[in-house]
Amino acid sequence: MKQERFVALHGKTWDRLQSWLHALDRQPRRTLRQEQALDFPAEYRRVCHHLALARGRGYSHEVTDRLQQLVQHGHRVLYRPPPPRWHRVATFLLAGFPRLVRAQWRCMALAAVLFYVPALAILLLLQLRPELAHTFFSSAQLAQFEKMYDPANPHIGRSSGTDLQMFGFYVMNNVGIAFRTFASGLVFGVGAVYVLGANGVLIGGIAGHLTAIGYGGPFWRFVAGHSPFELTALVIAGGAGLHLGLTLLAPGRRRRGPALVAAGWVGAQLALGAFAMLLVAAFIEAYWSSIASLPDPLRFGVAGVLWLLVLGWLWRGGRAVRHGA
Amino acid sequence: MIDTVREIETAEGISLRLRAAGALPRAQAWVLDLLLRGVFFIVAMIPLSIFGVAGNGLAMLLLFALMWAYAVICEVWMDGQTPGKRALGLRVVHADGTPVTWLPSVVRNLLRAVDILPGVYGVGLVSTLVDPHARRLGDIVAGTMVIHARELPAGQQVPAMPALPLPLVLSADEQAALVDYAERAGQLTVQRQEELANLLTPLTGLRDTAAIRQLVAYVNWLLGRA
Repeated sequence: MKQERFVALHGKTWDRLQSWLHALDRQPRRTLRQEQALDFPAEYRRVCHHLALARGRGYSHEVTDRLQQLVQHGHRVLYRPPPPRWHRVATFLLAGFPRLVRAQWRCMALAAVLFYVPALAILLLLQLRPELAHTFFSSAQLAQFEKMYDPANPHIGRSSGTDLQMFGFYVMNNVGIAFRTFASGLVFGVGAVYVLGANGVLIGGIAGHLTAIGYGGPFWRFVAGHSPFELTALVIAGGAGLHLGLTLLAPGRRRRGPALVAAGWVGAQLALGAFAMLLVAAFIEAYWSSIASLPDPLRFGVAGVLWLLVLGWLWRGGRAVRHGA
Repeated sequence: MIDTVREIETAEGISLRLRAAGALPRAQAWVLDLLLRGVFFIVAMIPLSIFGVAGNGLAMLLLFALMWAYAVICEVWMDGQTPGKRALGLRVVHADGTPVTWLPSVVRNLLRAVDILPGVYGVGLVSTLVDPHARRLGDIVAGTMVIHARELPAGQQVPAMPALPLPLVLSADEQAALVDYAERAGQLTVQRQEELANLLTPLTGLRDTAAIRQLVAYVNWLLGRA
């Protein structure tokens, strides 16, 4: 069949599909409700067939380029992602995320060791040798910590600012750290190891110093409430980064490319879960932890319950319910 | 051959052609996005300043969203394009040419933190130069690539002319070369058209303008015009 005849035969189909695709770009909802939307998959495949014919018969670019453009556009529409389903967010947070954390328990355990061991070691060390605090922090930093947790300060844990301001600050700062911890894991895991260790030293150092100089009361009362979410989220983000780095180093039985894509898929979900946890942590930190007038039993009681909740959620969340035999 | 076109065979048995976008247009799109976000942030600060110190908190939440969520939300909802990418005619797609979805977009935008290292996109630049599809590290891990979304101009129409049958049978490649010549002749100078047409004097028996007309007439016959 000569080219002109081919165009005369099928040109109308192409024009129809093209105008429908353009209408879809301009008014997506209305166009999708048209009856022609039902015919789109069949029509698209017919045009694909025409392109293959045109290629095979050596038709000129005038026809093949036009069909190629039409097909690329159609491909984008036919294989578009489904609209987001919001109930999946809840399912993910309640079940999918804890399951994923448990599936990666080796990396999570490694991240926890990398974070908690330096933190506890420094904390204990500073009780025995308080003067060592000056090797970890400059005098200006120490003065700032002391000001934040001064027992005479009416608002504990901060030198100034309102609840909302601090909420914004905690979100930006903590989530930024968590995301960077995850991303830096791609550098053979070195970045994640460094961030986890450095944060362990920092947090252990502050806790140790304040406890040693007798400001421990306000400090522990302040951090107790939000620590279950904040510290666990940091460990999870670090674990996700370690997973990424270890996959790059030892992809196992897969090729490096696909293995990395799979690890990135897991890592992004873990990072999003950590993001949700840090939002909760920032909320608690800004609106609950900073209330100075709360009685200690209530404060530490709530902290204990929250620790149990977080660990229980990660341990049991998303397990298949066992029905009676 | 060094080519940035990635051909992907689809389930329909045809191949898609994805033209990978290099570092330069992507850097331009990024700068454009950066400016856009900067201006948006400054404008948003004006109403936020009414709230005083609390406005600072909202401003930081906004800054956080602009830093981390902007690209993901734009890519997922605007068909793989942030405003900067749209202006430059770029689009993020999966490696198989389908539109980018949530998780891959999250991965490629979180891993920006690595690509942006030493200075401004040092790692990312090296990665785009080394990778055959010009992907930065974030794209490699996410399984995505950035392509040129604007289509190349399709070939021009062959000028209509009374058809002349070819005096001898040409192979398919030779026919295709003739048709290509007739389609592109409009983009060439007359001198160049004549120079090319003169190569085929053995076929046409003519030179210069007459040879061009003869070739176009042959092509009209090849295309099946009356």
